[in-house]
Amino acid sequence: MIQPITEDVPYKLSPGPDGLIETQTLEVSIGPQHPSTHGVFRMDCVLDGETVVKLKPVMGYLHRNHEQLAEKMVWLGSMPYTDRLDYFNSMANNWAYALTVEKLAGLKVPERAEYIRVIMAEMTRLLNHASVIGFMLQDLGAWGTPLLYAFREREKILDLFEHVSGSRMMCNYFRFGGLRVDMDEKALAMARDIAAKFPAFLGEFEQLLTENELVQTRCQKVGILPKELAVNGSITGPMARASGVEYDVRKVDRYGVYGRFDFRVPVGEVGDVYDRFMIRILEMHESIKILQQALRDIPAGPHISPEVKLRNFKVPEGDGYARTESPKGELGFYLVADKTGKQPYRYHVRPPSFINLTVLEDMCLGQKVADVVIILGSVDIVLGEVDR
Amino acid sequence: MGLLGKNLFAGMAVTARNFVGSYFDGGRKERLVTYQYPEERMPLPENSRTFPFLVYDEDKDPVGTMRCVACKICEVECPPQCIYIVMDRDEKGKPRQRPKVFDIDISVCMQCQICVEVCPFEAIKMDNDYEKSQYGRFDDLVEHLPDLLKSNDYYRQIKPTEAGAVDAKLKAEKEKKAKKAAPAVVPKPVPAALAPKPAAAAAAKIAIPDDAPFTPEQRQWLSGFLSALGAGVAVPSKSVAEASASAPAEADASAAASAPAAEAPAGDWPWHDAGMGMQQRMDLVKDRSFADKLMAAMAQTDCHACGYDCRGYADAIAAGSENDLSLCLPGEAETESMLKKLMQEAGKV
Repeated sequence: MIQPITEDVPYKLSPGPDGLIETQTLEVSIGPQHPSTHGVFRMDCVLDGETVVKLKPVMGYLHRNHEQLAEKMVWLGSMPYTDRLDYFNSMANNWAYALTVEKLAGLKVPERAEYIRVIMAEMTRLLNHASVIGFMLQDLGAWGTPLLYAFREREKILDLFEHVSGSRMMCNYFRFGGLRVDMDEKALAMARDIAAKFPAFLGEFEQLLTENELVQTRCQKVGILPKELAVNGSITGPMARASGVEYDVRKVDRYGVYGRFDFRVPVGEVGDVYDRFMIRILEMHESIKILQQALRDIPAGPHISPEVKLRNFKVPEGDGYARTESPKGELGFYLVADKTGKQPYRYHVRPPSFINLTVLEDMCLGQKVADVVIILGSVDIVLGEVDR
Repeated sequence: MGLLGKNLFAGMAVTARNFVGSYFDGGRKERLVTYQYPEERMPLPENSRTFPFLVYDEDKDPVGTMRCVACKICEVECPPQCIYIVMDRDEKGKPRQRPKVFDIDISVCMQCQICVEVCPFEAIKMDNDYEKSQYGRFDDLVEHLPDLLKSNDYYRQIKPTEAGAVDAKLKAEKEKKAKKAAPAVVPKPVPAALAPKPAAAAAAKIAIPDDAPFTPEQRQWLSGFLSALGAGVAVPSKSVAEASASAPAEADASAAASAPAAEAPAGDWPWHDAGMGMQQRMDLVKDRSFADKLMAAMAQTDCHACGYDCRGYADAIAAGSENDLSLCLPGEAETESMLKKLMQEAGKV
């Protein structure tokens, strides 16, 4: 209930039962304007003074009927739509969907395609983590500087994506049993160049941010997510790892050829906003390690398995779930094929953004309203994936 | 923590370095990332894609030499359903093997390139023109056939490597076809002047020298006339290239139509010509096997829309391995009803 402040009804500071000033809670709606909430997303906050006592996430402004659309389409037809789920990481989404259909159809992917998939997925992770740190600091009030440094690096990766797949963001690059086109020598050279130069950018980024007193005071001990809650809430990805849960689908499932690479999974201790920020920085270092190994070992060969038909592609009756470690967490697809096998009978996406968002209230309770925005920023959501 | 704010200054050193470095970075130009659009444009990578266009081969006759045969595969496969195709037919209702209407709603198109991948004729390709602003929201954003038609030269210009591969593939296919068609044509009792040898078509092409005093319209008409003369069929709208490609088949068909069908050698399919009408094709197979009859009911484009070529689909139905009779997209309802009728006649339903 909002107290109207007008001339007629002056706002009175009346003493409460304990002799202190009686206060009322105030309901504030944050969003759904795009700039502050990472997409069209609304938070219904109830505030006591500046402290959050209740918070309700309101979603659905960007609902596009993704799952139902996919059930009306042949298997390949959904591939370009998966680009639009998490529009920052179209390559990672493509992989999750292709992996599930390959599991259903029992397809084998050629070696070279597996390596290119790893390269593309790790490039995606680099650009996502760099940008999400930029966005988070934008929420802190660092107007543009870290974000634009991140975008400058992202631009180089997008150039690579455009060179390889033809499109910067909506790549539509993966196919069942491989990839649409091969990565040529020039693209490999570009990828090597990015892998070689990214550490310098990361060093600069860390010098700018990690020990910055303002970042530390605003982020440390803010929005703590306890380990138990992270496990109980099915939180995945960097958020879970920041809370100390050692869980990375690349290590657990070893899908693709991830079993061959030497990399570590950084794990946080406190689970606050600063840990989530640091986990992403450390993960970028690990991604570069994977990239360098993949680019060193990439074999020659076909980029798609020859027995795959592009049109009239059918899968045998059955259902399957496959998951990948997308930059935001565990991205999985659950698909059911009926006996015609032409299109999915049921198509379900397990989006990491959406499930990571469910603990937003628990992280925000008792925090100041100014911190709500950075806590949301540290979750790393993309509304295309939350609402689908 | 040491001196409070020490690391703030370390961060500012980074911003200062970036600021200065954006002007002077030792000639590497890595940090100078601004392009002064529209005066200055970024070079696009070859794979870059925006919206689809239709390829035609010769500037003289874009409509006659377009590669699209209106098989409607892209219309069916397009995920957001932004393509609309109507097949062109002559007065008698015979398909002309090209679209009369080909519309792409670019406000719906999501640039996914699936139409390009599924096209068996290399007819639709991705453009890289990104300046498509229009004043209207509805009709202005629908591209019709004349907007969509672009020459193969344009395609070579925007995507040299890809177009080179496509050209080589088409050339190889054409040669294979010509080799296949040649022995079947030779024994036919056709007058020597109308013999559908590739040389005749080539001669028709040479008949108009480049420096001859004709306007483009006259040249187009003449070339069409001459090539039709070479092919033995009066189809003035068709150009040299297409006529020379389809000449053996057409002559084959006309010869076969005048002679009884039983004279055709075994393994040769005189009805396998998309320019023929359904009735004509069915007449040709009156005395042939069940699978041949089924095949004659197809649209004869070998477009693989059903997942087979025309022969393969007919054999699959005849063998009972394929039960779906509605797979022939270019044949539309006509093929489906004919297939049903044939199946009923054979008592297989």
